[in-house]
Amino acid sequence: MKVRDRWERWQAIDAAALFVVFDDPDLIRRTMLDGVDPAELPFPVLVDRDRAHYDTWGLTRARRRDIWLDANVYRVYWRLLRAGERLRPGGTDVYQFGGDFVIAPDGTVAYARPQQRDDRPPVGELLRAASPG
Amino acid sequence: MPASPRMPGAPRAGDAAPALALPDLDGTRVALDDLRGRPVLVSFLRHAG
Repeated sequence: MKVRDRWERWQAIDAAALFVVFDDPDLIRRTMLDGVDPAELPFPVLVDRDRAHYDTWGLTRARRRDIWLDANVYRVYWRLLRAGERLRPGGTDVYQFGGDFVIAPDGTVAYARPQQRDDRPPVGELLRAASPG
Repeated sequence: MPASPRMPGAPRAGDAAPALALPDLDGTRVALDDLRGRPVLVSFLRHAG
């Protein structure tokens, strides 16, 4: 499924999204956004340089073995290389974990998946958590 | 079904969401509270690259 399809499914349930990063904004523009104007994105990319929010949301740093002994990391890079992607410098801290949370309309957490390894939940799982009823 | 939170300190399903208010890439402040009334995906990304 392409990113556009995923985003259309997300919009179909009138959900919003906030993406949070901690690296330098110029680096984010060059790497993650690959030159795309942030104003053209349908969601904001927020910058948490001191990672205070990562800490507040309970997102920790990985141990070395969590990353380098995880076969999934190598599968992901292998798929990217086969697709013709280039490997790029990894930002300021490759050990910082992320996480995905769905917040219900009343402000409570409907879904929480802080990372313990370098993976992300399926979009369908997030959509189910965000869908009413 | 909500995933099981396993990290100490991370909010769990049913908790009030922690505050979140940060600048976007252009410096405009965006707050989670401003989106109250809609479901919101909050996705903390790993490193750039």
